[in-house]
Amino acid sequence: MSRLLKGELLKTATTRSGYAFLLGVVAFGVLNAVVVAAASGDLDEVAEKQEAFAGLPVLLMLWGLVGAAGEYRHRTAAPAALVSGRDRGTVLLSRIAAYALTALVIGVLSVAASTAVAVPLLRDDPGPGLTSAQIASVAAGNLAAFVLSAIMGAAIGAMVRVPVVGVVVLLVVNFAVLPLIAGVAESAADLSPFGAAAILTRSTHNTTLSVGTAALVVAAWAVALAIVSVASERRRDLA
Amino acid sequence: MNSSRSHPAAAAGPDPAAVTVEGLTKRYGRTTVVDRLSFTVRSGAVTGFFGPNGAGKTTVLKAVAGLVRPTAGRVLVRGRATVSDPRVLGVHIEPCGAHPGRTARAHLGALAVLAGLPRARVGEVLELVGLEDAAKRRVGTYSLGMRQRLGLAAALLGDPDVLVLDEPVNGLDPQAIRRLRTLIRERAQRGATTLLSSHLLSEAARIVDDVVIIDQGRLLRAGTVEELTSSTASLDDVFHDLTEGRSA
Repeated sequence: MSRLLKGELLKTATTRSGYAFLLGVVAFGVLNAVVVAAASGDLDEVAEKQEAFAGLPVLLMLWGLVGAAGEYRHRTAAPAALVSGRDRGTVLLSRIAAYALTALVIGVLSVAASTAVAVPLLRDDPGPGLTSAQIASVAAGNLAAFVLSAIMGAAIGAMVRVPVVGVVVLLVVNFAVLPLIAGVAESAADLSPFGAAAILTRSTHNTTLSVGTAALVVAAWAVALAIVSVASERRRDLA
Repeated sequence: MNSSRSHPAAAAGPDPAAVTVEGLTKRYGRTTVVDRLSFTVRSGAVTGFFGPNGAGKTTVLKAVAGLVRPTAGRVLVRGRATVSDPRVLGVHIEPCGAHPGRTARAHLGALAVLAGLPRARVGEVLELVGLEDAAKRRVGTYSLGMRQRLGLAAALLGDPDVLVLDEPVNGLDPQAIRRLRTLIRERAQRGATTLLSSHLLSEAARIVDDVVIIDQGRLLRAGTVEELTSSTASLDDVFHDLTEGRSA
C-alpha cells in the first residue's frame, strides 16, 4: 500500500493542476477572511467571527474529482493498474488516499493563511473575542471538511470517469439543487455532503446539526462513496 | 535494458504457452466484438496478431492485459488468470497512458514507484527507446511517434517476460522502427515472448515467428510463418485471401 500511495502522491505532485487548486483554495480562504472580517460590518458573536475562517471544501471536492476522473480521460489509470501488482480496487483506494493527503497539505496552508489574515482583522470587533480553542476548532473543522471532500471528489471522479460531466453535476447539485431542497426542508440539506461540510467549516450557523454530527455525516458520505467507487472499479473495464 | 539477461521462463525450461486464450468472448451490449476466440502464444516467440479494422484485435489485447473482462472464456498469462506484475507482463496499447501535463521522466518515475522498481530503470528505458533527450518535456508536446516510444518505455519498465504491443510502429520514423525491430528480436533471443498487432504486414513479417489472424472476432488462421506462407504466397497475400481484401 505504501508503494502505491507513494506512486499516486508522486502523480498528484507532477502536474500543474494540484498547484492551481492550492492557489485557488488559499486565495479563497484569504478573500473570505477579508470580506467577512473587514467588509461585513460589526461581528459581535463568536459564530459570526468564525465565519471569517471558513474555507470552500467544494474546491477540494473538485480537485479530487478532476484528478481521479482525469485518470480515465488521459488513460493513465491503465498503466498504473498494469504495473501495480495489486487489484484495481486497491490501486483506486491508494489514489483516493493520495488525494486526501494532498487535500490535507492544501488545507493546512489555506487555514494558516486565512487565520493569519482573519485574527488581526477581527481584533477590534465588538463582543467576545475568539479563544485559541475556538480558532483551533474551526481550523480542525475546515481541515476535516477539506480532506473528506477530496475523498468524496476522488470517489465520484472514479465512478463518473469524465471530468466535465462530474464537475457540471457537482456544481448543479451544490448551487442549484441543494438551495431548492434547503428552501423546502433545511434539515435535509444539512444532511447532504455540501450542507454538512458547510457546518464543519462554519460558513453557516444556526443549523439543525451540531458540528460533531456534521463531521459524522460528511465522514459517512466519504466512506460510502469510497466503498462504492472501489467496488465499481473492481467490476468495470479499464480501457 | 539488460540485453544479456535470460528471462526466468526461458531459464526454467520450455513452457509451451506464454499466453493462452480460451473461448474468449467479449460483448458490449448487443455487439459481439470477440466471439469464442482461442489461440496460444508460444513462449519465446514473436507472434504477429493481425486482422482488418474492427476485427477485435485491440479488445483481445486488452483482455490479455486484464484491462477488459471477458464476457465468456478466459485468458492465461504464464498460467495465471490475472497478471499485474510488470516483470511478467508489459503492455503498450494506444494511447500511451501519460498525462499531457507530466514529463516523460515523471510519468515513468511514478510507474516505477508504483511497481516497486528502482528509479534507475527509468533512465534505462528512456535510453532504450531514444527519449532521453526529451525526458524533461511535457508529454503534451510530444509527437505521435514520441508518445508511442513513451508507451513502449512504460511497457519495458519491468523488463517483462511477455510483451504485448498494439500497433507499436504507428507514427514511428524508420530509425525508430529499426530500433524496435532489433529490440524485439533481441528479446526473443533471450527467451522473452512478444505478441504484437500491426497493420504493416510486410514490416511485421520481418520479425514475427508465428501468426494469428482474426476477423469479426473469430480466428481465421494461426501457425508459424512457414506454415502459413509459401514461395509464392507472402503473409500479405495470405492475409488478403483470408479476409477477402479488407484492409489490415
